[in-house]
Amino acid sequence: MNKPAAGLGIAPRASVVSWVHHHRQAASNSLLRAFRLPVATGLTWLVVGIALALPASLLVILQNIEAVTGDMRSPARFSVLLEADTSLNAAQTILKRIESRVDVRDVTLIPQDQALARFAADTGLVGLLDSIPDNPLPHTLLVNPLASVESEGLSELAKGLKVVRGVDQVVFDTLWQARLAGVLQAGRRLVMGIGLLMMVGAVLILANTIRLAIEARRDEIVVIKLIGANDAYARRPFLYTGLWSGFGGGLLGAIMVGVFFIYLSEPVNQLLQLYDSDRRFTGLGIMGVLNMMFLGGALGLLSAWHAATTQLRELEPR
Amino acid sequence: MIEFNRVSKRYVDHDALRDVSLTIPTGEMVFLTGHSGAGKTTFLRLLMLLERASMGSLRVDGRDTARIKGRNIGRYRSEFGIVFQDHQLLYDRSVLENVALPLEIAGFRPRDIQRRTRAALDKVGLLGRERANPAVLSGGEQQRLGIARAVVARPRFLIADEPTGNLDPQLSAEIMGLFEAFNRVGVTVIVASHDLALISRLRHRIVTLKAGRLVAGAGL
Ligand SMILES: Nc1ncnc2c1ncn2[C@@H]1O[C@H](COP(=O)(O)OP(=O)(O)O)[C@@H](O)[C@H]1O
Ligand SMILES: [Mg+2]
Repeated sequence: MNKPAAGLGIAPRASVVSWVHHHRQAASNSLLRAFRLPVATGLTWLVVGIALALPASLLVILQNIEAVTGDMRSPARFSVLLEADTSLNAAQTILKRIESRVDVRDVTLIPQDQALARFAADTGLVGLLDSIPDNPLPHTLLVNPLASVESEGLSELAKGLKVVRGVDQVVFDTLWQARLAGVLQAGRRLVMGIGLLMMVGAVLILANTIRLAIEARRDEIVVIKLIGANDAYARRPFLYTGLWSGFGGGLLGAIMVGVFFIYLSEPVNQLLQLYDSDRRFTGLGIMGVLNMMFLGGALGLLSAWHAATTQLRELEPR
Repeated sequence: MIEFNRVSKRYVDHDALRDVSLTIPTGEMVFLTGHSGAGKTTFLRLLMLLERASMGSLRVDGRDTARIKGRNIGRYRSEFGIVFQDHQLLYDRSVLENVALPLEIAGFRPRDIQRRTRAALDKVGLLGRERANPAVLSGGEQQRLGIARAVVARPRFLIADEPTGNLDPQLSAEIMGLFEAFNRVGVTVIVASHDLALISRLRHRIVTLKAGRLVAGAGL
């Protein structure tokens, strides 16, 4: 020492500059440390990735189903099934009667042979036509209400159709849509639930990783606290470890989802074509990938913050 | 200036320090002596805020240390260079990296860290061993490494607890010589040591503790 002791009362450099510097240093050191233990790091990323990939896949599948079924939304329609012994002539008469109602736009008759042929074509069970001696399907009337008729009017119409002589059953065709909506709603909640559980799992894994990292550097933490580091300084590298683990996990998860969807998209697209849909299966997309990484990073930071804050408080120099 | 005013420290059923009043002016070098268990380490730990006084007040440069809390403790500690009897070195880093620690915490530029670290190692005679692992150094070398780390950030106070504990007389005298050199450039130095033979040869104030009480050296 050739100069009188200056002491640290004189700041070595602007504290913001050194704060930024330490952040950069902590960030790069944490990343280097992660790469120096490729197996441990890879495993953490993998586990976090799986935890994020499962709900993300389900979510994307759900979105695709919603998109496809959204296209199918058609105006309300009734299928009126006539009694089994109704003749074709009688069916025509019933058609006329129903058509005369003010709330009905048009009515189409589907004779029982045609109904069976349609059913066979729809289901692919073509052989059915030959193997069934008696057609179990009745003549059916497709009743399209006026577009202006809505919910209450529709139930009114349904009641009216039901009491027409020769009518066996009235099926409101939008029922399946309501059911589908219910199923989709349940699906969304299921995905949310699974997602939440998996995220809790990811947080626990990440927190444990951080805890082990802190434990491994216990001596160092005690020493730096002894010679003037505060908790924020000591915590910083571990926050970055958490952040990188989360990012890495998110990235790996996105890759897994991507590979899975490449595998899935061909058969799904073929299926969509069969249904005359011009939709194509849509995967995560770049935003989805970024969202997963962002979510992973946020979870990592959160876990690290919690683990480091609680643990560093106990790691006081003795 | 360091002012202990009627400080007591009680551990569960044992008084480690009793009613100690002592003033250490800035720039002074003081030896703290007394038998094992007299309270020397407790005195230094109170100063470093590793313990808090049970009674009395401790002021440093007019600041009441009882008011220094949380994140400010780190800043306060970085005004001190501390030399530990058990060195407290990090054995997963090089000699250079160990010495650089206080500068990194204080936020020095990498360039300045290099320069100052090498200067400090030069001062304790360890230049040339920068890349070595502290574990391969001898006891005396590790102690000098600890001193380099303690002084590298040019603290205003230098504190050492039994710094010559396991060293032979010649090395001990060398270490004390280093402390005197830092004191000559204005650093306030407090050394706890029970090696009376060694410290009485050096002409500095000697403060004696006995069973937690200050029995000699209180006056200026
Ligand atoms: N954490 C502690 N809990 C209980 N007693 C302690 C603790 N630290 C020190 N002591 C006691 O306080 C007394 C003073 O100890 P110390 O300051 O280490 O003495 P010295 O450094 O002079 O040998 C001793 O009797 C010691 O046993
Ligand atoms: Mg002691």
